[in-house]
Amino acid sequence: MLEKVKEIVADSLGVEVDTITAESSFQKDLGADSLDLMDMVMALEDEYAVEIPTDDLGALVTVGDVVKYIEKIEK
Amino acid sequence: MQTSITKLLGIEYPVIQGGMAWVAEYHLAAAVSKAGGLGLIGAASAPGDWVREQIREVKKHTNKPFGVNIMLMSPYADEVAQILVEEEVPVVTTGAGNPEKYIAMWKEAGIKIIPVVASVALAKRMERCGADAVVAEGCEAGGHIGENTTMCLVPQVADAVTIPVIAAGGIADARGMAAAFMLGAQGMQLGTLFVVAKESMVHENYKKSIIKAKDIDTKVTGRSTGHPVRAIRNQMTREYLKKEQEGVSFEELELLTLGGLRKAVVEGDVKTGSVMSGQIAGLVKEELTCREIIQKLIKETDALIKGAEFYE
Repeated sequence: MLEKVKEIVADSLGVEVDTITAESSFQKDLGADSLDLMDMVMALEDEYAVEIPTDDLGALVTVGDVVKYIEKIEK
Repeated sequence: MQTSITKLLGIEYPVIQGGMAWVAEYHLAAAVSKAGGLGLIGAASAPGDWVREQIREVKKHTNKPFGVNIMLMSPYADEVAQILVEEEVPVVTTGAGNPEKYIAMWKEAGIKIIPVVASVALAKRMERCGADAVVAEGCEAGGHIGENTTMCLVPQVADAVTIPVIAAGGIADARGMAAAFMLGAQGMQLGTLFVVAKESMVHENYKKSIIKAKDIDTKVTGRSTGHPVRAIRNQMTREYLKKEQEGVSFEELELLTLGGLRKAVVEGDVKTGSVMSGQIAGLVKEELTCREIIQKLIKETDALIKGAEFYE
């Protein structure tokens, strides 16, 4: 799942896939702003057919956080 | 001029006056609503009591629909969101964030919900959450802005959602309004043009600044802080931009703009205050009543759209 998530993050944030790791922080490492993050969240929701409520967004600081979060919902 | 927006909101003309901080108070909002548009009160960072008072004053002046713009970063946002329900406000527009947590409460109260968005993703999310329409605001607008222009944002948002789209940013005459229709909008939100309306209570200096402004006279400060703001250039913006280039801290930059809008609107300090305005200020040349503004817009837009021959 990490590889697919990295692809989606790369696409939404306009960064190269190989600059992204599970530890990458969206705002600190990848330079994302609020519009970028909204774009990414919508793309993740489409890809994994899940809904990510706004209240949960604050806890998604790194790429790894997103992977864990989606794995949890999918269970 | 009937469109899906006039039908949704129960107004005569698809013209909305932006809920601008410090500028959009009850005199202006009531005048716009009386003239057949939708007047908005800008809650900005004001406490609940102020907003409640403004709402009650508008209702004393007109029975027509009006709304409140809630600024989601305000420390009073929760309070204001609740007051809209208590005071039976018919329409809410939202800015500076994601209004998701209030939507169920507002829908139950029958309030029409219109988030202001600066991106397609946010527009889609708002539709999914139950918004009745969205305002797609381009970066030509005054105050806090996004990245995309109205010209590019409106058609992309119109493609992405099925709810009606209201265009904002850079509209101050019939040409802008007709163009917005072409871009896929069914209503328009105007800010700068209404700041100089006769019923607008802003200081004369502020109105004069907008009327004097040329096409190149607005500047965007704060791009580096993630909170870009467009205002008419002056001593403050010059100092801010210089310091921004030098890499001065966010806190120090904030000091320059603290209370800046209030300084300009209330005290008329247009040298060191923040004279927020859209790029279209260059087109705004006179102080008219809201009724005159709206009648002129509607008549000329109608003539343009019906009678236009653009090519030979």
